[in-house]
Amino acid sequence: MKEFKPLPDQPAPNDTVGPIHWVKDNFFSSAMNTIATLLILALLATVVPPLVDWLLISANWSGTTQDACTKDGACWVFVIAWSKQFFYGSYPTEELWRINLCVLMLIGVIASSQLLNKDWRNKFSIPAFLLLPFVCILILDGSWIGLEYVSTDYWGGFALNVLLAAASIIVAFPLSFVWALGRRSEMPFIKSVSILLIEFFRGVPVLALFFMGSVMLPLFFPEGTNVDKLVRVWIVLTLFMAGYMAEVFRGGFQAVPTGQYEAADSLGLSYWQKTLLIILPQVIKVSMPNILATFVMLFKNTTFLLIIGIFEVLSTTQTALTNSNWLGGHSTEGYLFVAIVFWICCYSMSRISASIERKLDTSHKN
Amino acid sequence: MSVEQEKTNENNDDIIVIKDLNKWYGEFHVLKDINLRVKKGEKIVICGPSGSGKSTMTRCINRLEEFQRGSLTVNGVEMIEDVKNIEAIRREVGMVFQHFNLFPHLTILENLTLGPIWVQKKPKKEAEATAMKYLERVKIPDQANKFPGQLSGGQQQRVAIARSLCMNPEIMLFDEPTSALDPEMIKEVLDVMIELANEGMTMLCVTHEMGFAKKVADRVIFMDAGEIVEQNTPEEIFNNPQTDRLQLFLSQILDH
Repeated sequence: MKEFKPLPDQPAPNDTVGPIHWVKDNFFSSAMNTIATLLILALLATVVPPLVDWLLISANWSGTTQDACTKDGACWVFVIAWSKQFFYGSYPTEELWRINLCVLMLIGVIASSQLLNKDWRNKFSIPAFLLLPFVCILILDGSWIGLEYVSTDYWGGFALNVLLAAASIIVAFPLSFVWALGRRSEMPFIKSVSILLIEFFRGVPVLALFFMGSVMLPLFFPEGTNVDKLVRVWIVLTLFMAGYMAEVFRGGFQAVPTGQYEAADSLGLSYWQKTLLIILPQVIKVSMPNILATFVMLFKNTTFLLIIGIFEVLSTTQTALTNSNWLGGHSTEGYLFVAIVFWICCYSMSRISASIERKLDTSHKN
Repeated sequence: MSVEQEKTNENNDDIIVIKDLNKWYGEFHVLKDINLRVKKGEKIVICGPSGSGKSTMTRCINRLEEFQRGSLTVNGVEMIEDVKNIEAIRREVGMVFQHFNLFPHLTILENLTLGPIWVQKKPKKEAEATAMKYLERVKIPDQANKFPGQLSGGQQQRVAIARSLCMNPEIMLFDEPTSALDPEMIKEVLDVMIELANEGMTMLCVTHEMGFAKKVADRVIFMDAGEIVEQNTPEEIFNNPQTDRLQLFLSQILDH
């Protein structure tokens, strides 16, 4: 019998690979494409040099008052002089180490989730991440753990945006999962309550919710109790986030094939074992991009809190801009700074989420 | 053995007893007066055209499908609404699906130990030892730490069989276990099933692999339009069909 020998692999033709081909293929593949490439290059040539000049070359970096801003470029002196308030709000200077400690712990937990293996990630990083906001609240407040008490009136700046967003998502996560389960439930009461909650918090603008939180929510608390303004904001943000996340999870549930439920059932797993061990991990995996999108939205929405007088970063910036020593028109620098800080955070989160997605991807398809 | 003889032969050997089982999907009557008794250690192959209710009947046995009338008893436990009964029955019944249904986020070993650890409350070490034993039986112990997505269809189906066996079931249900496989992988799965049959496992297998039916089945059941049309030994079913429906079915699956 004749032996079958597979043909050896041959290299791809030269004109279909390599950098020159890539440029040709992506920028100059057709007449229209070439024109678009040239127009965009011309646009960049007119916009980028003056922008770089204003941002960096003619910018003012040193000094402590706005009189130091003598050059034409951006007056970064303004941002540098106010940076403490931007990041920490009016938190007492001698207690700033507490905020720094919280930031360090956050970085540590994120790093651990990237560096540790799966076992340790489940045992350490995830619980640590879930507990971190509460630990930070205890540290920042101080009165429960023997440190000097710092009233929430002094909490502020970008640290407050991060803290509120993180504390909200962590409570919203399990809450929204339960709401999403409730919406899929066959029990009419649970189903309708879940739909009502989800649709209410999704359908009402977040600003309206903030006002309700500061005006209406106190009516639901027992008489005489004075619930901290930040706690009320926290509740509102959590419920708002949960409404969105519940719908994200619902989409995730629909992506899990029925065969997974059947296989779990046929093994004799109970409802909660099936939901938490089999379904939830797969739901989180498919929902990861949407969970992140929702979180980024919530994180940016924390700047709306300036409207109800919470000293988060944007409201601190406005205070700085109206300070009588800094009335030189630094709003471009101020808002640009806030935009850059948010962008860096959101972009980092999207990188982290992409890396989590890769870790969760067990399909190993080529 | 005819249906009448089966009925008179009531004894404790019957591990599955289905009496006058009827099922509807809304208005649609999918299972009509199903009566079936399965002895411990018996191997049954169920065949029939698609839509005949063979999968649905099999899935009723571990309550993946509900039924509206009749009764079903598995290993002495009656199938009723009670979660306790359902879970008790599911612990005794393993199931292998057409599309494997392995858990994609868990490794092969974790797929196998999940049930023993969480349902049977076995210690992790013991569950892993059992899992490796069964992986060796289905001849893929070297794949233990891979994920299902990295395995071929035939390997995945063998893992699925091993996953069921880890629960130490009394009965194994197979719902078209080879229908989603490439031709070259069917044999490796059938070999595992034949080995299992030879060890005395009670098996109900929905399949169109007639070679398998001839080799291991004690009884072949032919279903159409939601009822059991004929049941007999493989020789009788294939060589001496009693109804025109079975004759037509056989001529269509064998003549090409």
